[in-house]
Amino acid sequence: MRPLVNVRPIVEFAGVSRSYGSRLALDDVNLTLLPGELTFLVGPSGAGKSTLLKLINREIRPTRGTVCVAGIPAHEIKASRVAELRRQVGVVFQDYKLLPRLTALENVAFGLQVGDLRISDEEARERSLDALEAVGLGERADAFPNQLSGGQQQRVAVARAVVAQPSLLIADEPTGNLDQDTAWELMDLFEDIAAWGTSVLVATHNVEIVTRLQRRVLTLVHGRLVRDQPAGQTGRMAWLASS
Amino acid sequence: MAGVVVKGRFPRRRVIQTVVANLVRYMFQGAARSWARNIGGTAPALGSMTLLLLMSGLVGLTGFALHNLADIEASQASLLHVYLRDQATPRDVMMLWNRLEADARVASVSYTTKDDALARAQRIPGLPQLADSTESNPFPASLDVHVKHIEDVEGIDSLARYDVAVDSSYPTSYDKGAYQRIQVVLFGAAVAGFAFLSLLGFIAVTVTMNSIKAAIHARRDEITIMQLVGAPRWMVRGPFVIEGAITGALAGLVAGLVTFGLAAAGSNAAPGTFTQFAPGVTISVAGLAALLVVAMGLALGSGSSLISLRRHMES
Repeated sequence: MRPLVNVRPIVEFAGVSRSYGSRLALDDVNLTLLPGELTFLVGPSGAGKSTLLKLINREIRPTRGTVCVAGIPAHEIKASRVAELRRQVGVVFQDYKLLPRLTALENVAFGLQVGDLRISDEEARERSLDALEAVGLGERADAFPNQLSGGQQQRVAVARAVVAQPSLLIADEPTGNLDQDTAWELMDLFEDIAAWGTSVLVATHNVEIVTRLQRRVLTLVHGRLVRDQPAGQTGRMAWLASS
Repeated sequence: MAGVVVKGRFPRRRVIQTVVANLVRYMFQGAARSWARNIGGTAPALGSMTLLLLMSGLVGLTGFALHNLADIEASQASLLHVYLRDQATPRDVMMLWNRLEADARVASVSYTTKDDALARAQRIPGLPQLADSTESNPFPASLDVHVKHIEDVEGIDSLARYDVAVDSSYPTSYDKGAYQRIQVVLFGAAVAGFAFLSLLGFIAVTVTMNSIKAAIHARRDEITIMQLVGAPRWMVRGPFVIEGAITGALAGLVAGLVTFGLAAAGSNAAPGTFTQFAPGVTISVAGLAALLVVAMGLALGSGSSLISLRRHMES
């Protein structure tokens, strides 16, 4: 899926560099992500994948260049407007980050209500249940995280990330702790989410998933975006398997 | 049901109710639960803060009493008693009175008879025994001279002490340098109290900041999630400020009650002596001091938390 001329990008990087002291983590990166696009971000460890995700979510600012997320200039907004930007971005972690004292339903509702205090308990419950059903966990809504498998916990985390209907979902090594079958289920879910119109960016090392799904692939090496392969043209990515 | 108007609930009010309910749940209840869970980590902060606030309360009351004492001392220092000979004639006394009253440095002059002097002495602790030990009245009559400025007392003393109507063995109440000596002692006490409280304050704030740092560490996943789902910054920080405020309020409550209890016990046990040594420290003043201690605890607890949050939490 290539960028359509009249569709407004969800993410726009223009000449973005980010350094930590003297070390350059990202070097002059330019890219755009469009609504409904599932994109993989690949590269060896230390290539700058996490830095790129943190820039999107305004956990850090770029040293140079501009970052726009859902029309919000992430590179220059004040700290008081960061929350507004983050409501446009759902985040999924490798280690799920579920609160152990809350049930699956409460974890999802927590994410929804602390992001928007105007959402009542009834509405939060209803929307959280919908999200859990969408990820196939409607039956386990009252289970605590320690009663769920790793794959189920990751699906709860996905439900929490998308329940507020963000424009963009970013996932940092979401299959890192999952077996291959569960990883495939998660990828199916990401494809569904992208099909609903949400832009999905997945940072991963999983070669099999990247090569078989044949979606757009961005390759980072030493902080530089060295390749931007459109969907269907990703090849076998043999270099990634050996990295 | 035709013609019956059914009033729906005002939606805006419902939104406000929802916001308030969510605030109470995620900020106040969350803070209270977290505080109760981390009580072990909070105990050192609670202890040091209670000690600081208790000392502040007691030093505050002592400072108030010393301030009153200084006022009394200042007013007494500007009052010069000119003691009259028992044999002084009314004419001599009147001449001295007129001379003093005519002086521009003098505000007023009044006469105290021997009987009034005895009555006044009997109100001073320790003197009633002396007064009762002799059959005759040992206290002289006096002219009580209110001098406008303390620094002029020495001049008025020189003017009066060699007069024929004045007792030559103990002419006046003037004690050169006494007022300055009291001022030096009071200033020294204030500086020492301030230094002591500053040190205690530094310890209490440091310990509280560390306990909040531990609370942040214990709830780091929750904080991360709140930040990433777009919770406003004040909502992420609020529960920790409330946790600090709970610690401060509890410490303030304990310290305030002890401060009030000690002042009330002292006042009830020996009211006369207590008033002599701590003038102006009444039950209502002690109550006000206790309230101030609680307010100080609240400010100290929430302020320390804010400083700790700025240092340890990602913006």
